Amino acid sequence: MTEANTYNKPLPVPSPETEAFWEGCKRHELLIPRCDKCGSHWFPPSILCPECLSTEWQWVKASGKGKVFAFGVYHRVYHQGFKEEVPYTVAVVELEEGPRMVSNVTGIPPTDVKVDMPVEVYFDDVTPEATLYKFKPA
Amino acid sequence: MTTNLSGKYAIVGVGQSAIGQVGGVSSTNLLAIAMKNAIEDAGLTNKDIDGLVSRGTDEIYCHHQKMGELMGMNVSYSNSLDSGGASQIMAIMLACQAIETGLCNTVVCGYGRDTWSRTRSPRSKMAVDMVSQSQLGLEFGPEFGILGAPVDYAFALSRHQALYGTTKEQLGHIAVTLRKHASKNPLAQMQTPITMDDYANARWIVEPLNLLDCSLLSDGAGAVVVTTAERAKDLKQPPAYILGFGSHNNLRGWYHNDHMTNTAAIQSSQAAYRMAGLGPKDIDTAQLYDCFTYMLMAELEDYGFCKKGEGGPFVASGALDLDGEIPTNTSGGQLSEAHVEGMLQILEGARQLRHQYPIERQVPNAEVALISGHGGRTVCHSTLILGRQPS
Repeated sequence: MTEANTYNKPLPVPSPETEAFWEGCKRHELLIPRCDKCGSHWFPPSILCPECLSTEWQWVKASGKGKVFAFGVYHRVYHQGFKEEVPYTVAVVELEEGPRMVSNVTGIPPTDVKVDMPVEVYFDDVTPEATLYKFKPA
Repeated sequence: MTTNLSGKYAIVGVGQSAIGQVGGVSSTNLLAIAMKNAIEDAGLTNKDIDGLVSRGTDEIYCHHQKMGELMGMNVSYSNSLDSGGASQIMAIMLACQAIETGLCNTVVCGYGRDTWSRTRSPRSKMAVDMVSQSQLGLEFGPEFGILGAPVDYAFALSRHQALYGTTKEQLGHIAVTLRKHASKNPLAQMQTPITMDDYANARWIVEPLNLLDCSLLSDGAGAVVVTTAERAKDLKQPPAYILGFGSHNNLRGWYHNDHMTNTAAIQSSQAAYRMAGLGPKDIDTAQLYDCFTYMLMAELEDYGFCKKGEGGPFVASGALDLDGEIPTNTSGGQLSEAHVEGMLQILEGARQLRHQYPIERQVPNAEVALISGHGGRTVCHSTLILGRQPS
């Protein structure tokens, strides 16, 4: 938990389609859409299934397990909020349900991160209003 | 049924503005200079142009209208584009299609930017380099510190390294070779040669990309004039015939499927080769979209100049040299000449076919040039094949 009055990084600005996802994060649940028709999952959340264009789908709770599909390590500071964080690891994580999402991988030195490394989600309550999903080695 | 337009249209004029660290001129006015130079290169005037396709910095609404205003033109066809670095070849494709369908006869196409100037402006909040506010996104990125353009190519390189064992040293050969090309280009933004040691010691940006893996922040503009091969015969310059073009856009995204390591260049190049009736072995010089060293290497694979996964050893073999297997980015490219979103690559391809350069810069006997464009949200790709002869 980071103190709200010291948190100076960008916060997510939800769209109508992603509000429920971020609300889920606050409850420490990783919600992803699953299609009622074809059963596929997708991310980021949107109004219809990109595979079969069905508008009938449900939010389901993802297992939170996945693997590092690709990663990079920021050394350059692009935003002052990350000045104390560099070097920090960012990744495309592939969930075991299929969808891929960008996030941070923490709890491991950047030099030890590997493609295909198993990771699992955790939740970082960065302010009273916002919780971020992040990943750590599984 | 499709109509094969191969050889039916040509680039008859090329022009550019000052490039690099220019300053003091806005992007639309840089492009106006480039368009003027392209039109005059063709031996034409603004009154001879009846089509305009343009792109500039992405916040400019109805860009082509602004350009027509600056160029004193009312035209029968104009539009502006929205596919990032893939747009500039797409503009030429649109020009051919517009002429073919009788909408117009002679089209000026071009792109201009003032990115270097923006980084110098005290008013600028553009520290997030090359990425305009409209591209930044509000979620699924900035909150994790995922900002700027390099990260998507760092992701891709991490994957290419894991799949194929590609090394940083191999990529270094791209940076060093393109700088060598730029050292022979008196207009290039960066002309001082670099060594493999310089590359190895360059500071990290987003690892595995360092500073010398990244293209330049540049001001500049380029433009071309496109018309029929028939009309080209009466104009001032030897035409660069448009033998083939293609595009492919992996709109589901860079993170989807294997798009990072098997890019849209695969399908785009196949379409262009098919139209031209040519293959990679027929290409004398390649001018590839090198926003980052990684992208150039991926394109060498995806265009069939080497096998998938062998881009690293291929570039390390000296293949990109002027006397190499495929002389590539012979003006220095976006890594060393200037980053004008692929526009200067089009000009370089056309100029190589005019055999206008001194011997130390000229690809010997260049008959066919291949040019690529890449961008949008890293998923749009376009390909252009030019020839000294119409078939």
